Amino acid sequence: MAEFIRFDRITKFYGPLCVVENLDLGIAKGEFVSLLGPSGSGKTTLLMMLAGFEQPTSGDILLDGTAINAVPTHKRDMGVVFQSYALFPHMSVGDNIAFPLQMRGLNKAETNQRVTRALDMVQLSALVDRRPSQLSGGQQQRVALARALVFEPRVVLMDEPLGALDKQLREQMQLDIRDLHRRLGLTIVFVTHDQSEALTMSDRVAVFNKGKIEQIGTPRQVYDEPATRFVAEFIGETNLVEGVVEAVQGAEANVRLTSGAQIVSAVSGAVAPGQTVYLSIRPERVDLTETRNDARNCLETEVTDSVYQGDHLRVQLQNAAHPLIAKLGRRSREFAPGTRVYAAFAAGDCRVIAP
Amino acid sequence: MPLKIAKATFATLTVLFLVAPLIAILPLAFTSSVILTYPIPSWSLRWFEELFFADAWRRAIVNSLIIGAGTTLLATILGTAASLGLRNRLIFFRGSIRTLFLLPMVVPAVVLGVGMQVLLAGFGLTNSYLGVIIAHTVVAVPFVIVSVTGALSGIDERVELAAQSLGASPTTVFRRVTLPLAMPGVLSGAVLAFATSLDEVVLTLFVAGPNQRTLARQMFSSIRENISPAIAAAAFLFIVATVIIGLVVVISRSMLAKRR
Amino acid sequence: MSGGSSRTGRSLLLLAPLLVFLIGFFVWPLFSMMSQAISDPAVLRLLPRSAEVIGDWDRKSPPTMPMQAALVEDLKAVDDDQALGDMVRRLNSARSGFRTLMSKTTSALADPANPPADLVSIDKRWEKPEFWIAIADALSPYTDRNLLAAVDLGRNAAGNIEHLPADQSVNRVILVRTFWIAALVTFFCACIGFPYAIIAASLDGWKRDLMLGAVLLPLWTSLLVRTAAWFILLQEQGLINDLLRGIGLIDAPLALIFNRTGVIIAMTHVLLPFMVLPIYSVLITIPKNLMPAAASLGAPPLRAFLRVLLPLSLRGVASGCLLVFISAIGYYITPALIGGPGDQMISSIIAFYATGSANWGMAGALGMVLLVATLVLYSVYARLSNDESGRR
Repeated sequence: MAEFIRFDRITKFYGPLCVVENLDLGIAKGEFVSLLGPSGSGKTTLLMMLAGFEQPTSGDILLDGTAINAVPTHKRDMGVVFQSYALFPHMSVGDNIAFPLQMRGLNKAETNQRVTRALDMVQLSALVDRRPSQLSGGQQQRVALARALVFEPRVVLMDEPLGALDKQLREQMQLDIRDLHRRLGLTIVFVTHDQSEALTMSDRVAVFNKGKIEQIGTPRQVYDEPATRFVAEFIGETNLVEGVVEAVQGAEANVRLTSGAQIVSAVSGAVAPGQTVYLSIRPERVDLTETRNDARNCLETEVTDSVYQGDHLRVQLQNAAHPLIAKLGRRSREFAPGTRVYAAFAAGDCRVIAP
Repeated sequence: MPLKIAKATFATLTVLFLVAPLIAILPLAFTSSVILTYPIPSWSLRWFEELFFADAWRRAIVNSLIIGAGTTLLATILGTAASLGLRNRLIFFRGSIRTLFLLPMVVPAVVLGVGMQVLLAGFGLTNSYLGVIIAHTVVAVPFVIVSVTGALSGIDERVELAAQSLGASPTTVFRRVTLPLAMPGVLSGAVLAFATSLDEVVLTLFVAGPNQRTLARQMFSSIRENISPAIAAAAFLFIVATVIIGLVVVISRSMLAKRR
Repeated sequence: MSGGSSRTGRSLLLLAPLLVFLIGFFVWPLFSMMSQAISDPAVLRLLPRSAEVIGDWDRKSPPTMPMQAALVEDLKAVDDDQALGDMVRRLNSARSGFRTLMSKTTSALADPANPPADLVSIDKRWEKPEFWIAIADALSPYTDRNLLAAVDLGRNAAGNIEHLPADQSVNRVILVRTFWIAALVTFFCACIGFPYAIIAASLDGWKRDLMLGAVLLPLWTSLLVRTAAWFILLQEQGLINDLLRGIGLIDAPLALIFNRTGVIIAMTHVLLPFMVLPIYSVLITIPKNLMPAAASLGAPPLRAFLRVLLPLSLRGVASGCLLVFISAIGYYITPALIGGPGDQMISSIIAFYATGSANWGMAGALGMVLLVATLVLYSVYARLSNDESGRR
């Protein structure tokens, strides 16, 4: 995979505070990469450095093989979409979109033509003469998108662009942006703290924590094979159970829980027998049965609570030593508190994480 | 219920106390009498004539306009530039510098006047238009600073960053984005600077010579020595101008608000 | 990317013109006004030779010959009668008898036919160290005389600080009067402004706009116009007296102008907006449901006010009071036009010393008192409003 953008050992300090620490990241041309993490994890700072608004304290940012640290923002040719949209309040929608084209000295005819095309693309042709303040949040968002795309930038950077929209609109825009990405072959770096947004849209997700990337991979990888406890907890919901490794055979490990139960779990990192580890088990991968079945992992538990949540049934369980949560399909039967059940899950649905 | 009536009475009386004096003076501008009392014997425009054609008043009006224009220009340029400089959070002593800029609003005018008279005499600037303009600019600048920094702080910094990322150089960002957005603040600052100059008496008493006698200065000595309904005519013009200026400020503020 | 340093450079370049302007035409004037108050080079300028030799003297033994010779040279060189008069006045105030001594000495020195051998031969008093001590002290270019006089203090012959005689003690009366008038105006503004702000903040729609407009219109109107309006209203034949007589409340016109009543009324009117606006701006940030909440918890209206609204709005009241008080102590125009001779405040006295009697030293000293009072109060005000923004 040819690298288009390269962050090479980037470190950024704000005074004594280290916000990005010795970070390496490569992004391919045409790729959609999400930077996902809680606020303060350094993801936005990284984006701001790529856009040229901030300078790394040390390290290089390369675009197409050349270092761009010294290139001022206005010569970087990157389209930025901000969370607050940052539309020019004193210009009409059309003038906003024409702005980058004017900066590049395009003639009037071509400018008009491209503005029209960009407005068509985001379905706002009727609003060309409106002021940004006269638009709804979703419309402003689309103007910001059109403005960032109209000059065909080399990279599109998005800083939580959907954060201010309501849920329904946000989901629609997620699909629209994903569609634009595919159609136009854009290279997109997308910052978000919303894990479902990152999973929905991205080719790859980089999970940030405290200025470092904890894990980078496809949405499936970061969800199903979390490398660290932080990733397991930050993306989706999970059961974390403590135990001690007894044996490792290839990609599987035998783990003894503090309750004494034996679990067979998939393992990706290096763990050694005798080591204390966590097991991550996604709630929706847990099955409940009334009799012990032949699944490889089966824990005897008692139901403490069960809540109907429309699309699933959420059951809280108490094993001898650990609470557990199971999400069951809508068609599952109800479980009354106090019922004794067996929680079963496959070895592949369980992951060993070094603490 | 009695509380409600008490409240309404109190509010009405206070509104009257605040506004009535200004309204009471208005009809007297049109009196034909030479004394400033009610009832008005008959209506006449003679005091406006006096204002515009009597030598002392006419020259005072012209002086006020010259000095006001000079002050507005100087205070707006200095104040706007300084407000732009104050935006940078990296400036050392930013808070102290800002306080210094606002302090002329606080320092008693007589104190400043004494110092200014001594200083300008040293420069040979007493009894000169430049001297009066400089003195007025000192007290007008804080209004420009307050108004322009207010407008600038309302600008979302990301809008300027966005312009940069869309290919605008720093100068272009300033010309196409920052300045247009700050303009209402600059304009209202300029209006306030002009109004400050127009109303300034104390400094003028200290630094201006007979040739720089402003309208406010003329009104001051007229009330003190020889009050005539020309004062009421001048007050009428002032109040009308205030209402117009007030409307301009309100409208430009609401323009500013609408853009956001 | 324009680096941080070039951006800082650009910002400094933008700040520089106003900074230089204000340092030159704002800070410097205030500074030179204060230096007027404490500098007194009148003696030093006339007696440069004496200044050189008198430093070696031990201030106890009789004057040395070089000292006498230097003083003779200095006195002979004086050609400015007014400066000489200033000097003699200052020396005489430090040591009485100097006036006669000096006039005797200068006339003897001016007699070309009969040049005196030395000063002692002109007058025996030149032997006494006291007179030379007075000269030595007066040669210092700095003096606390003006500052002391600003609060009616002076130094006696022994150099100790004591009260000036009653006929010279006017400043303290005026300082007390200034603060008293300012306090009264602040009190009336608070009494009217606080309830007014509460009512305005509790309303909405046109009623609130009207109440705020009634505050803003006078605020924006020329101070002279407002003072002129009060002049017209308060005069003997003015509307207020007409009105009171019309409804039969009084028979003879009340004296409302050129006295304290008029000054207080007009100043309260002029400064009321500075009380209402800070209180109002605090009140509108208080959630409207707090009073109903207090009521629902069982507090009767008065207690709800005392326990909830008052503590929350106290900061605005304090800001307003400071603002009004600061403005009031520096007032000049309104007392000058509406007040009588007994209502003149410190600013009027400063203006009198500066323009009337050209006594820059006293003008500067009183100015310093006013300036320091203003700046101290303002720093309290600034801290109050900073805390406010810090809390949000």
